[in-house]
Amino acid sequence: MPEKKAFDEAFDGRGTARQHYRPLVSILESFTQSEIERRERLQKLSLMDQGITFAVYGEKEGTERIFPFDFVPRVIPALEWERLQAGLVQRVTALNLFILDVYQGQKCLKDRVIPPELVLSRKEYKRELLNVIPPRQIFTHVVGTDIIRNDAGDYLVLEDNCRCPSGVSYVLENRNTLNRVFPEFFKYYPVRPIKDYPTLLLDTLLHAAPRFSEKPVVVILTPGMANSAYFEHSFLAREMGVVLVEGRDLIVEDNYVFMRTTQGKQKVDMIYRRVDDDFLDPLTFRRDSLLGVPGLMNVYREGNVGLANAPGVGVADDKSVYAFMPALIRYYLGQDALLPQVQTYLGARTQDFVYIQEHARELVIKTTGDSGGYGMLMGPFASKKEIEAYLAQMKRNPGNYIAQPLIELSAHPTYVDGTFEPRRIDLRPFILYGESVRVLPGGLTRVALRPGSYVVNSSQGGGSKDTWVLAAKDG
Amino acid sequence: MLSRVADSLYWMGRYLERAENVTRLLLVTEDFSTETQGLAEDLAQTAWKDMLTIFPSAQLTRDITPFAPLAVPYLHAFFTDQANAYSILVSIRKARENARSVREALTLEVFLALNEAFRALEAYERKGMPDLPAFRDALSATHKGIFTVVGAIEHTSTRDEGWRFLKLGESFERSYRSALVLRTKLPALLAAEARGDAPLYYTQWRTLLRGLSSLENYRRVYGARLEPNLVIGFLLFDADSPRSLRYGASIVRDYLAAISGPAELTAPARIIGKLYADLRYDDEAQMRRGDFAGLLDRVVGELAKTHDAIATQYFVT
Repeated sequence: MPEKKAFDEAFDGRGTARQHYRPLVSILESFTQSEIERRERLQKLSLMDQGITFAVYGEKEGTERIFPFDFVPRVIPALEWERLQAGLVQRVTALNLFILDVYQGQKCLKDRVIPPELVLSRKEYKRELLNVIPPRQIFTHVVGTDIIRNDAGDYLVLEDNCRCPSGVSYVLENRNTLNRVFPEFFKYYPVRPIKDYPTLLLDTLLHAAPRFSEKPVVVILTPGMANSAYFEHSFLAREMGVVLVEGRDLIVEDNYVFMRTTQGKQKVDMIYRRVDDDFLDPLTFRRDSLLGVPGLMNVYREGNVGLANAPGVGVADDKSVYAFMPALIRYYLGQDALLPQVQTYLGARTQDFVYIQEHARELVIKTTGDSGGYGMLMGPFASKKEIEAYLAQMKRNPGNYIAQPLIELSAHPTYVDGTFEPRRIDLRPFILYGESVRVLPGGLTRVALRPGSYVVNSSQGGGSKDTWVLAAKDG
Repeated sequence: MLSRVADSLYWMGRYLERAENVTRLLLVTEDFSTETQGLAEDLAQTAWKDMLTIFPSAQLTRDITPFAPLAVPYLHAFFTDQANAYSILVSIRKARENARSVREALTLEVFLALNEAFRALEAYERKGMPDLPAFRDALSATHKGIFTVVGAIEHTSTRDEGWRFLKLGESFERSYRSALVLRTKLPALLAAEARGDAPLYYTQWRTLLRGLSSLENYRRVYGARLEPNLVIGFLLFDADSPRSLRYGASIVRDYLAAISGPAELTAPARIIGKLYADLRYDDEAQMRRGDFAGLLDRVVGELAKTHDAIATQYFVT
């Protein structure tokens, strides 16, 4: 049972409920089994009826699934959150400064804070954007940073998602669902509200719009209905009251972006794009892209349209850049990183490469560019053969790989098949970079529903929980 | 508003209305065929075959077996058969797909109701229908489900451009489909007069009115007595009946004017305006002439032109 080693969020080593979980445990104990089952059925029905679904790749086109929701909320005490929040604000501030530097000046590369080849050789580094600086020097308007807790209960940063982090719609809908299905939970907890996220997001986007327009027109650009996060794109458009567009709805003329409307063309000032860099503009990036808008990058370069997040931010998501984050925070802010992160071995570094080869059985090895749990090897659970095959592949291009020790994700009581069982969780807080850097209290807690599993991704059998940040007692 | 969104809403309106029309026609035709198949099987058969003319390119996928009621293969094809482009399930699925692609333009209530109607139809498809009463139950429930969606649209939508395109699609589909029902059934019914089987003859006229949900409305104006000329006049030229051709043309014209603004005259507005003028001011001459087949051909043709002109004007920019 690997759960034994994991930090349990709700119970201490002797099996007593931690202080901030006590009221919740008593409420749950007061329910009968059949009452809980009835509520669970209600909750599932409500998700399906509302069409809160995600599309699954590789299955029949248009397949929709509900994202499983576990009703046992995760509780984060005020003080713990304050520390997390400060660490996230610091980290995102540094990430933005790093990206700015990479595209203007490249001081950190000249000062060898990070090996230049590590940054310049990545496909996420966009040479064509050198010296193209977005309004107010903000690149990372919306960031989702993945956080885990080790066996001691310390919060560690696992990765930064500066490109198109998704999941915030589930954060908001999970709260709605829990409010409706288990209103009793909220009676004894001062849970910080999160409903103003769409307002904050709109403010962030307006703040980042080019300054020529008095009332900037903001749109969300989605790859379309077949995308796994389409529900979220449409949800955010509705909540912010902005138009949801697809690539084919936009055209470029005279170096401005317009949308095709029933009344002719209308100018667009700010695009919250949920389309990856490579698909944004077939003239600049991928020629075969049908999702993007031909000519869009030229308009962006001219400063005639804003893009959030700015193209090119993917360099900061790179898993080998991650290894240098503590150094980069020190370099740009003169501070020590407030949030620790996971020890990382770089395939690109000779002594690390040797270490990875020798200790593959204890390590999680990942490719630097992938996300979503794809393309990785879990050493402790892999067969000798799998490890050898993976290492052989890695040898061909070691620079594309990193390795980390396996971290015992913390476990949280979860309702599975009629009983409460510990399951591993992580946390993705959402950080908005507008006039200031703000963190939505809580974030998306993902849970691995399979026993013993470490994989929390929705595409691979994960679910989610409502995440509560408690208000500080005296204001 | 985005052309793509307007296009989707227009089609959502068309598919919803189409689903309602199919449901109603199935219920009415099933009644008629049960009532008449022992008396005059050919009439019952024709009534079902008409479905394939009213919904061109619709297909039966099950063979007609000797002892099973006539209705069964048609009910199968038009209720939940995924292979038939005009089945209720396919129409609601397409309405929902259109809704899903423009979800931010709809209220949550509309989306919930549509989603629920779709899920109910999927469940019917999975379960299968053992017999005619089961079909009848399921069709009645489906009818209610569709009205719930329509009601949610009515009660919760803001009357903006998106709503006008949705209503334009709905009213267009209604006019077009009513014209097709009349063109399919009216000439045959007029030719049948000589047969002299009075009760059966009036059942057919009553069924025509019911098929266009106009029986009660007709009675309110003319009483219970079914005079073929009065029925024709009512279905073609009545000013207030929501399914008369004249009313249909006027409402399509009104939504087009609301979309363009009253001052602007667009290509589709010209076509529908002329058609409306014909139906509004030429009614007496048409009744005297009695060439209803010719008139209905023209109505169907002009409506088809209107649809093309709408697409060119608003959806292809």
